[in-house]
Amino acid sequence: MPPNLMTATPIQPPPQVRQFGRVNWQGLKTLYLKEVRRFAKVATQTVLAPLVTTLLFLAIFVLALGRSVDKMGGVTFMEFLAPGLIMMTMVQNAFANTSSSILIAKVQGNIVDVLMPPLSPGELTAGFALGGMTRGLLVGLTTWAAMTLVVGTHIHAPFFVLFHAAAASLLLSQLGMLGAIWAVKFDHLAAVTNFVITPLAFLSGTFYSVERLPGYWAVLAHINPFFYMIDGFRYGFIGHADGSLAAGLAVMALANLALWALVHRLFATGYRLKA
Amino acid sequence: MTTQTRTLQPRRFGRVNWLGLATFAGRDMRRVLKSYRYSLLGPLVSNMLFLAVFHIALGDRAWNFGAIGFSQFLVAGLVVFAVCERSFETAAESILYDKLEGMIWDTLMAPLTPLERTIGYTLGAASVGLLTGAVVLAASLLFVRLPAPDVPLLMFFAVTGAVILGLCGIIAGIWAEKWDHQAALNTFLLLPLSFLSGCYYPISGLPEIGRQLIQLNPIFYVVDGVRAGLTGFHEGSLQTGAMLLLSLAALLFILVHRLIRSGYKVKP
Repeated sequence: MPPNLMTATPIQPPPQVRQFGRVNWQGLKTLYLKEVRRFAKVATQTVLAPLVTTLLFLAIFVLALGRSVDKMGGVTFMEFLAPGLIMMTMVQNAFANTSSSILIAKVQGNIVDVLMPPLSPGELTAGFALGGMTRGLLVGLTTWAAMTLVVGTHIHAPFFVLFHAAAASLLLSQLGMLGAIWAVKFDHLAAVTNFVITPLAFLSGTFYSVERLPGYWAVLAHINPFFYMIDGFRYGFIGHADGSLAAGLAVMALANLALWALVHRLFATGYRLKA
Repeated sequence: MTTQTRTLQPRRFGRVNWLGLATFAGRDMRRVLKSYRYSLLGPLVSNMLFLAVFHIALGDRAWNFGAIGFSQFLVAGLVVFAVCERSFETAAESILYDKLEGMIWDTLMAPLTPLERTIGYTLGAASVGLLTGAVVLAASLLFVRLPAPDVPLLMFFAVTGAVILGLCGIIAGIWAEKWDHQAALNTFLLLPLSFLSGCYYPISGLPEIGRQLIQLNPIFYVVDGVRAGLTGFHEGSLQTGAMLLLSLAALLFILVHRLIRSGYKVKP
């Protein structure tokens, strides 16, 4: 005779609320892993595709310009270009990760799954931001590895490479969160990408040394935060910077802090997230 | 109380359902115009940025390819890239979206023959591509002077290119089963073909092997023809290009017609 399951005494105590301290580490970790698994599942689109696109960009610029521009910033044009392209693909992917995650969840209505769990605004900000950073850095790393095979980059100052890679990914992750929280439909986010992010990235000295710009434009370039991330990152590789390195570190740190405060506030108030 | 009765009867049409064809072909254009910020202004801004970046990085220094400057050379590349990408995307997205949302029945049920549907999809995609190209060209003309464009030549190559890429887009849309497939085709096939076609650089500057490889790429002939129309500068034979593109378009058209007639991956 099998034991009577209906009358058997329960082995486990009844469920209770999980206890945690000041930080819900388990929850934060779960949110972070959700963000990572989300892009890892479609790695062809999220990691491999940016890699191919960036290598094509490199090929085109070298084919189109390599002949006539032999030196820029004291190195060959290819060495000058490679760090800029790596940075560009990193920030695009960091932005894409957080913005698509939040906006899709908003449009489909499953954002409640993120808002209901016992996660504080700070934990929400950190979880999403770290997820976007992970994708940015991963794409950057693969692109760097591929370019090393082609161009043979060497690293001049590892600190600047790491700092600017992390700070730029974080900055764009947070901008992505900001854009997606603000946006109501996909058109809005596309507008942010087309009219804010792409121009800032293109006109930042990724493809040319800002020393070449005529006076008025050079001033404009120096108030673009994207200029500092690319300039500092490139300094880490080639040992030549167009702008001030200290200013770059300060701008990146301050911009990240300011955005963190803003995004934290948006999560805390529930702006365009909670009814 | 009188009820106004009018007996419903099927609309009559001759050998070709002209109204249906026009409605069908105009569908994609109406959809694109509805989201013009994303679909027209987006490419416009990114192409103008491209032009600016190339101009700043290179200017017209050290440029010795015929009588034209680098910016003039580049405009054709930007226009063709916009035309090709949008034609392909429009057709592929239109079909795939309808398939995934289950709306493809609306087009299958309509009294349209496979030939009419093939023509409708192709015209719809090509017109969207050409409109995007025209917008990019118009904006470029603000910055770049093109002395004496040969409009018929330009139109011939632009239209043929748009039709070919539209037909490729139809095949992609029919074949793809999810967005990932379409995105993969875009990244790993369309993008390399468009980028490595001489859009942005003269192939005369390439090593021999690169030049020969690029001449196998049909998009090269589209770019070359459009550039000949815009600036008079071309690197390949225009007759060869025209013949090749026309035969390719015909072949693709027959293939797409067969696919649509058989209902491959579309009908159960």
